[in-house]
Amino acid sequence: MFEWSETQEAVRDAVRKFVEAEVKPKVDELEHGDLPPYDIIRKIYSTFGMDQMARESFKRALERKVSGEAPADRSEARGDGGAAGMTLIPIIELCHYCPGIVTAMGVSIGLTAGTVMKRGTPAQMERWGLDLLTLEKIGAWAITEPGSGSDALGGMKSSARRDGDEYILNGNKTFITNGPYADTIVFYAKLDDGSDTPVRDRQVLTFVLDRGMEGLEQSEPFRKMGLHSSPTGEIFLSDVRVGRDRLLGETEEETGGGGRESAKDNFVTERAGVAAMSLGLIEECLSLSVAYARDRELWGKPIADFQLIQLKLARMEVARLNVQNLVFRHIEMMAAGKTLTLAEASAMKLYSAQAASEVAMDAVQLFGGNGYMAEFRVEQLARDAKVFQIYAGTDEIQVTHIARDLLSRPS
Amino acid sequence: MNVVVCVKQIPDPAAPQALDPQTHNLVREGKLILDDSDSYGVEMALQLAEQAGGGEVTIVSMAPNGETSGLRTALAMGAAKAILISDEALRGSDALSTAKVLAKAIERVSPDLVLAATESTDGYTGTTPVQVAELLGLPSITFAKKVSIAGGKVTVERQTEAGYDEVECPLPAVVTVTAGVVEPRYPSFKGIMAAKSKPVDQLTVADLGLEGQVGSAGARQAITDVADADTRQSGEIVVDEGDAHERVVQFLEQLKLV
Ligand SMILES: Cc1cc2nc3c(=O)[nH]c(=O)nc-3n(C[C@@H](O)[C@H](O)[C@H](O)COP(=O)(O)OP(=O)(O)OC[C@H]3O[C@@H](n4cnc5c(N)ncnc54)[C@H](O)[C@@H]3O)c2cc1C
Ligand SMILES: Cc1cc2nc3c(=O)[nH]c(=O)nc-3n(C[C@H](O)[C@H](O)[C@H](O)COP(=O)(O)OP(=O)(O)OC[C@H]3O[C@@H](n4cnc5c(N)ncnc54)[C@H](O)[C@@H]3O)c2cc1C
Repeated sequence: MFEWSETQEAVRDAVRKFVEAEVKPKVDELEHGDLPPYDIIRKIYSTFGMDQMARESFKRALERKVSGEAPADRSEARGDGGAAGMTLIPIIELCHYCPGIVTAMGVSIGLTAGTVMKRGTPAQMERWGLDLLTLEKIGAWAITEPGSGSDALGGMKSSARRDGDEYILNGNKTFITNGPYADTIVFYAKLDDGSDTPVRDRQVLTFVLDRGMEGLEQSEPFRKMGLHSSPTGEIFLSDVRVGRDRLLGETEEETGGGGRESAKDNFVTERAGVAAMSLGLIEECLSLSVAYARDRELWGKPIADFQLIQLKLARMEVARLNVQNLVFRHIEMMAAGKTLTLAEASAMKLYSAQAASEVAMDAVQLFGGNGYMAEFRVEQLARDAKVFQIYAGTDEIQVTHIARDLLSRPS
Repeated sequence: MNVVVCVKQIPDPAAPQALDPQTHNLVREGKLILDDSDSYGVEMALQLAEQAGGGEVTIVSMAPNGETSGLRTALAMGAAKAILISDEALRGSDALSTAKVLAKAIERVSPDLVLAATESTDGYTGTTPVQVAELLGLPSITFAKKVSIAGGKVTVERQTEAGYDEVECPLPAVVTVTAGVVEPRYPSFKGIMAAKSKPVDQLTVADLGLEGQVGSAGARQAITDVADADTRQSGEIVVDEGDAHERVVQFLEQLKLV
């Protein structure tokens, strides 16, 4: 694939029209924290029938789980890269204006609903999965703690102490997307079975919590550098008592991988998602920059005539082409029923996130003083792009994942 | 309730446009899109068919190069099928030729109602739909801002300068709708996927039995020249030396406005 298919282009055009009519005019409100992003996300879902599609795919997933069938070949429902395109195109288009919406949506649907659907029993899927998939409920996915981010699984201190047939949960989570507003929270904790296993080596269990449970507190949104349209906060648990019905899978047995594996399930999807986000952001910075370079006149000619400006534009185009190729490759692979390896996904994320940050900062530079002003929009995109290098695994962590893979190959 | 919607596929108004220096026609080589004005007709048709509890919406379009992008948009919104008339022989068609072609294609469907926009975005003569009605021998109502169907009749609130008239006529009929009458839906992703496999019937001038009557062969008008519009004259600046009000009144009297 070197360009979008006709159908994918039709999807892109429809989403683009929606984003320009419904999101663009609200960017200010979203960015200044006056407007949580959830109603806009719901509107995207209902407008394009994604809620209906979610209901149908929920039904299929539930039937498969009940019958114990292996998950369907990824290519099955995808056609010409259809489904992969369907998910990534809205991400790309939204990131022309508002990467925060994508983060809020991705965490609620991709991470939270995704984990419940993959790891939950049929009863748990029905209890939480459908409402999350249709955005009836907003989800948060809580793994990071004040003392452990990159080392989330090893350094995790949150605990689940067995108490008869129940568990007592304690711990603090931070930097949690949708944390302040979430109705449903997927919460990771270390099993405390009374043994003297060092905390670092203890089993990780995954629980589902509901807003308002006794002992569960959700903070106000943090103030942060960018990504203002995605509320981020803290979650505090003190002696939250839960039954086995809230333990995902309803068993401590680690068939198909336990909590540690569960946390890693999402790595590939999440990293591919960040590449798509980068593509949208880069496309926007590039087109704004080309227009500005043509328009802005100094010394009696457009700054587009200066070679140092041309260099910036050329570098942006190189980045756009590379990231687009990576995204297209991922779509092709999905359509063929294949998945990126963790190292490939990490390489894709590392490159795309750095490219997005560099392009956006170059755009600010190209715009001069105007670049520093909110009105010209590139400053927002630059602040937003920075987070791509931090969440879903920092740049440094992507490097370690790529290197580990390279060095583990037989010599 | 079967409804035909005439839709024009036009070059993207947001993209730069050019006239062919020889023929003075708009260059229509690239991808064409559904004229925004026509998305209202499509939406209206879908709503009327839904309200009637059944029936099909058929899209009819005449366009160069077998172009179907705009049709796919209408099909993705929910129309059942489309008829496209595309033929080299249609080059140089004026509005009457276009109307002849559309009328012949519509006859094949024998719909209860034909909808079109009041005028297209690129050509905007606003003459095609009424000519279609005349050729089909059907009554027509223009400038509809509200359309309802009951008891074999169509009732329309017809936009006027002062407000609206309520008019009605028997079905079948041709009705042109104004922009903004309804909120055109976005095509759903499923709709877009489904549109790929909906039938698009491609017809030629010969299929319609119109050889020699349309295109440049049948044109009764020709564009002889195209000239740039006059650049706007700069206005007269009145410096107020105490008599500005008199000069303004004089100016208005000159224009016979007071
Ligand atoms: C003298 C003259 C020469 C022309 N020569 C050429 C030429 O060589 N090549 C060329 O491509 N065009 C040519 N045109 C343009 C022409 O064919 C118009 O597109 C056509 O006449 C429709 O007119 P309009 O755009 O003003 O439509 P309007 O009457 O303003 O359209 C109203 C509505 O009618 C319907 N409608 C109009 N056109 C179509 C269509 N094609 N298919 C389906 N529904 C439609 C739509 O619902 C539309 O919204 C010429 C026009 C004139 C006046
Ligand atoms: C806006 C936002 C939203 C987020 N949403 C969520 C969410 O929904 N759920 C959730 O659980 N978490 C979320 N996070 C947390 C995010 O995943 C972590 O911030 C990230 O994993 C980094 O962890 P940390 O902040 O603890 O940094 P640290 O792990 O403390 O890292 C500090 C520095 O050390 C570097 N470093 C770490 N290890 C190595 C190494 N081995 N070699 C070299 N350098 C190293 C890092 O790259 C970094 O530069 C979010 C974060 C942000 C900013």
